[in-house]
Amino acid sequence: MPIIVNLDVMMAKRKMSLNELSEKVDLTLANLSILKTGKAKAIRFSTLEAICKALDCQPGDLLEFSKE
Amino acid sequence: MKKRTEIILKILNVFAWIAFIALMVKAGAILFSYCYTIFKPEAAKNFYEGQNLYNFRLSHFWQYTLTVALRAIMPILESYTAYLIIRVLSKIKLSSPFTMEIANVLERISFFILATWAVTIMYNSFAAWLIKENPGLPLTIVSGDFIFLAGIVFVFAQIFKKGVELQSENELTV
Repeated sequence: MPIIVNLDVMMAKRKMSLNELSEKVDLTLANLSILKTGKAKAIRFSTLEAICKALDCQPGDLLEFSKE
Repeated sequence: MKKRTEIILKILNVFAWIAFIALMVKAGAILFSYCYTIFKPEAAKNFYEGQNLYNFRLSHFWQYTLTVALRAIMPILESYTAYLIIRVLSKIKLSSPFTMEIANVLERISFFILATWAVTIMYNSFAAWLIKENPGLPLTIVSGDFIFLAGIVFVFAQIFKKGVELQSENELTV
């Protein structure tokens, strides 16, 4: 898929574990894992908002468009 | 609402089992009667459902064999369709009903209904020809309105496949 999710990069920058993020954004580990591994087909604005809030970043920091 | 649907599906499952067993018995009865008449032609006087095919059996054995074969293939195909319906009803889960396996089985059901229609048309044409050639032959024409049903089930299978896609998208929405 041409949309790349850079959640792991942002988590590493903020030194936050998946468990910690899961608690902060109120998402299951399974769902966060789907997002992190790029298997997700869609993301809700509410989820994006919660992750941006928890990681103190912009949506553009999490999502990237690649032509390949 | 969900509970009501579950009950309806369970009742349909029971009906499908009854239909499956009844059709298997019907196919078995026809095949057994045929095998019996090979060795004892007099038994053809009271063939399946009381048809008297004794003279036909004696005079045109191979035509008799083809007629019985076509007549037996119909309930065999119908019973396999009933078996596929049992598979669908026993595998479907109302919490996530759209699976590719069920969609494929539904598509297969439509193909088997179509095959049943084709065999019915062949049997009816052959029986009509035989009645014309041998007036008084006690063969009955079977209703063959399966093509419409096959089309409907095929359309449902295609809609079901779209449902599978939508469900997987929904499951992968975070």
